[in-house]
Amino acid sequence: MSFTVRYDDNNQELQLAGSMSPQASGDLGDFRNEFLRAVGLVDGTLYVNVKKLVRFNNVAFHEMARLVAGASRDKPQLRIAVVTSSVVGWSARKFRALTRLSPNISVEDYDTQFYPGQDVLEDGGFIPILRTQTRMTWRHEREILPRHGLRAGMAVADICCGIGDFAVLVSKEFKPSRLLAVDHAKPSLAYARQVASDFGVKGIEYAYGDAASLLIEDNQFDFVTCRHSLQIFNKPELILKELFRICKPGGRVYVTNEKNSHCLGEPRAESIQWTYTEVAKLFAHFDMDVELGPKSRRYLLDAGFDEIAMESFMVTSLDGDPQDFADIIQAWEDVYAGKMSVERGDDAAFNKRFRQGFQDHIFAALHPRGYAGWPIWVASGRKPA
Amino acid sequence: MHAQSHPGAGEPEFKALLEIAIQADVFASNWEHCDRIASYVARMVSHNRTDSLLYLNLFSSALNELLETAFRAHRGEGELACKVLRAGPIDRVELTIPSDAAIASFYRDAVDTAQRPDAAESYMAALFAEGPVDRRIGLLELAVDYRAKFSVREAGRSSVRLVADLALDEA
Repeated sequence: MSFTVRYDDNNQELQLAGSMSPQASGDLGDFRNEFLRAVGLVDGTLYVNVKKLVRFNNVAFHEMARLVAGASRDKPQLRIAVVTSSVVGWSARKFRALTRLSPNISVEDYDTQFYPGQDVLEDGGFIPILRTQTRMTWRHEREILPRHGLRAGMAVADICCGIGDFAVLVSKEFKPSRLLAVDHAKPSLAYARQVASDFGVKGIEYAYGDAASLLIEDNQFDFVTCRHSLQIFNKPELILKELFRICKPGGRVYVTNEKNSHCLGEPRAESIQWTYTEVAKLFAHFDMDVELGPKSRRYLLDAGFDEIAMESFMVTSLDGDPQDFADIIQAWEDVYAGKMSVERGDDAAFNKRFRQGFQDHIFAALHPRGYAGWPIWVASGRKPA
Repeated sequence: MHAQSHPGAGEPEFKALLEIAIQADVFASNWEHCDRIASYVARMVSHNRTDSLLYLNLFSSALNELLETAFRAHRGEGELACKVLRAGPIDRVELTIPSDAAIASFYRDAVDTAQRPDAAESYMAALFAEGPVDRRIGLLELAVDYRAKFSVREAGRSSVRLVADLALDEA
């Protein structure tokens, strides 16, 4: 049994993590003391955060029920909110039993607010664009990946796999011994499984998971990928900590990210540059850093990796059909200008100019003498052996 | 491996996935054995489920409760065996537990309570009861939260076999 219990008075949050499967309630002294201390300090709502609790036996649950019942009795105005994660399948249904004790006890699923941009990715209409993006980046990455250490026969994990098409390409090209693809969007995973089934792709494990708290044991994979995801997570260091943990010593973690303000095109360069600079500000408003690409080296070093390798590549309108590039930009406009800018409350004049930059980018992509680019930064680091 | 059970009328055919056997006194010498066996077995049987990670976590939690129950409710020497069989979406756990008449009676009562329509009320009563934990609580939780189907029967003269059917992809 290995668990941690910690009370954060700043957030009025009692955090439980790990595996709590005691033989007797007497083994739960730390939990009991910290719970009672928290109840004594809290005004209003006590948050009991169990989202990183992977095992919780009924001895522990019986003790928790006793403590919660006592707190409700002794401090009737106290509200207790148990914060669960849908990634741990038993969690919400188990803790929901506590709501029988008092109307002041609730169980909340924190996942809905976890990834700020997830609703965009879960929009089924976005899936063809994601496929096109992967097709265009794969032209580059299939040659880049070996330079960062990917070899045939490795155990590979693709964290934040989205619709799973990158995993399929890795499976075909590099024939890993194991390939686990994890994402936090169930519609994307359903799509990924359907594609794998339709195309007879076998051997990819598609799993529902929280990138910042993976239900994967330590030191499992030779090569861990996480593409275009650190930049849309408000705490990328939490994901990197998990990528580091599941990577084998001597293995490598591979990340790709953008620097959106460096999207470019000719003609109409100024308008394009203005719009993409505004894209970066727009994402920052929603706590996402789409300028993260060049910062990858720092993030990897801070997470404990060594032997950092880094490079960048440019997806351009000359990579295959320019219309593919144009389709991607149109999808970006639909989401960034059509949804996110509106949600931020931008006025019509701003929105019109904002949209124009995307249209100019498309114009550059399709212009017979034009050129449009979308730069991406690749970085990988070795987990020290 | 791949031994087959004998299906009853209308019952799907189960294929054996794996079996672990351990002397009951060795098993009962360390509480951690429950968690370790549950984690190991779950890892072995979960990899080809639709969502291997979610399934692993659910299965290991469920099996851990069964093993903890067996840890507390067994009697006498002999082998404690944990066998996992599969028929489509259902994974069947067969725990063969050394027992005497009292232990066998405990399992019959626990399974009977867990299979009743008011099992949820029994589970809540056990959860919120003062005093020591009701030894049936694990089985009750599995019946209520995991929709486990239980049966129990004698297995030789000094053992009882607890059977739990788990359809965790659908739970």
